[in-house]
Amino acid sequence: MTGKDIVKVTLNLVIVYLIGGFILAFVYANASPRVFRNNEEAEKKALKELVPDADANEKHDWTIHDKHAKYFIMKKGGDTIGYVIQSFGKGYSSYINTFIATDKDFVVQKINILGHGETPGLGDEIELDYFKDRLKGKDIDHLKVLKTETTEYVEAISGATISSRAVTEDAVKNGVAFLIKTVKEGGNTDVNQQQH
Amino acid sequence: MSTSSNTNLKELFLNGIVKENTIFKLALSLCPSIAVTNSLKNGIYMGLAVMFVQVMVNITISLMRKIIQAKVRLPIFMLVISGWVTVTQLLMAAFVPDVYAKVGLYIALIVAFASILARAEMFASKNSILPSMADGLGMGIGFLFALTTISFFRELVGKGSLTVPTGLASQHVFTFINTKPLLIMILPAGGFLAVGILMAFFNWINARYAAKAAHGSH
Repeated sequence: MTGKDIVKVTLNLVIVYLIGGFILAFVYANASPRVFRNNEEAEKKALKELVPDADANEKHDWTIHDKHAKYFIMKKGGDTIGYVIQSFGKGYSSYINTFIATDKDFVVQKINILGHGETPGLGDEIELDYFKDRLKGKDIDHLKVLKTETTEYVEAISGATISSRAVTEDAVKNGVAFLIKTVKEGGNTDVNQQQH
Repeated sequence: MSTSSNTNLKELFLNGIVKENTIFKLALSLCPSIAVTNSLKNGIYMGLAVMFVQVMVNITISLMRKIIQAKVRLPIFMLVISGWVTVTQLLMAAFVPDVYAKVGLYIALIVAFASILARAEMFASKNSILPSMADGLGMGIGFLFALTTISFFRELVGKGSLTVPTGLASQHVFTFINTKPLLIMILPAGGFLAVGILMAFFNWINARYAAKAAHGSH
């Protein structure tokens, strides 16, 4: 390879990569504001679905399993009517991203599974209403998974006890415990707190 | 591979669907074809994304083929492929966020698709734009066809249902049986089984067809 060849090849690569970089930058600059708006809208929609009565919310941050998560104090006419907290549970093959809505006494009203990578056909039943409804009306002392038939506690999905536990005893319970600790007892709602 | 200028476009197009079907014939890109095909809808979305990237990459490489130095062609192919994948990802996140939330993870995988790089190297870098487009479209449709068949089979047998996309972000689930007849088919192991069974079936049909054609011409 002569010196001239080296220059030719280098220039070829540099020019092509520069052009490619500019095209990507252009597409990114145009697409990213839309992506941001989409995420905001999706969050708003999720909150509306969880606490339909609320007309305003206060947004805060916290962390669980070293993941950044959010929680919201839901208000109606200036009064706190409940809380929504995002939480993660360590499942069988993934972290389960969960949104939990509680009333102002920290009793679970509704949960939503936003994302997970649990086994299709078994663990992915945590997405279904029949399981999510089992957490409805449970306070922190009753967020416990039993393998037997129960309505007082949470009944496990048959064949997916680990995923059921991850949602109930990891994501939801830790989220509710955090809310109780920060909002009820601490009063200091704006600190990032580490939970394990 | 014929590279003469008067190659029949239709033949090129059909080549990717039947004779050199990425999955059933070349056995390339099997990883994603097993990872995403546990529901019909996922298979179709992934197939469409791959088809788009394959056609765009073939067109771009074909346009650039005269200015690419042979010694650095591979890094340039990789740039073109990853560039188109990133563009697809950004456009999907911006315009069809619901779909992106479901298959976004797999879109990034397209960068490492052996089949796309192979077509760029073997075909698009040596042919003009129209044949390259036909080749990309054929390969892409062949891939879409394979993913659709595999995911149709797996979801039907494994879950007893079919999830059909009715629009870009909407879907309809047809449930036939409520008991998950053969759960293993939607687990990763079932992916291998499904690909194997369908590959055998596809080749059997091909062999029969070829035998008939050979018999007829004699």
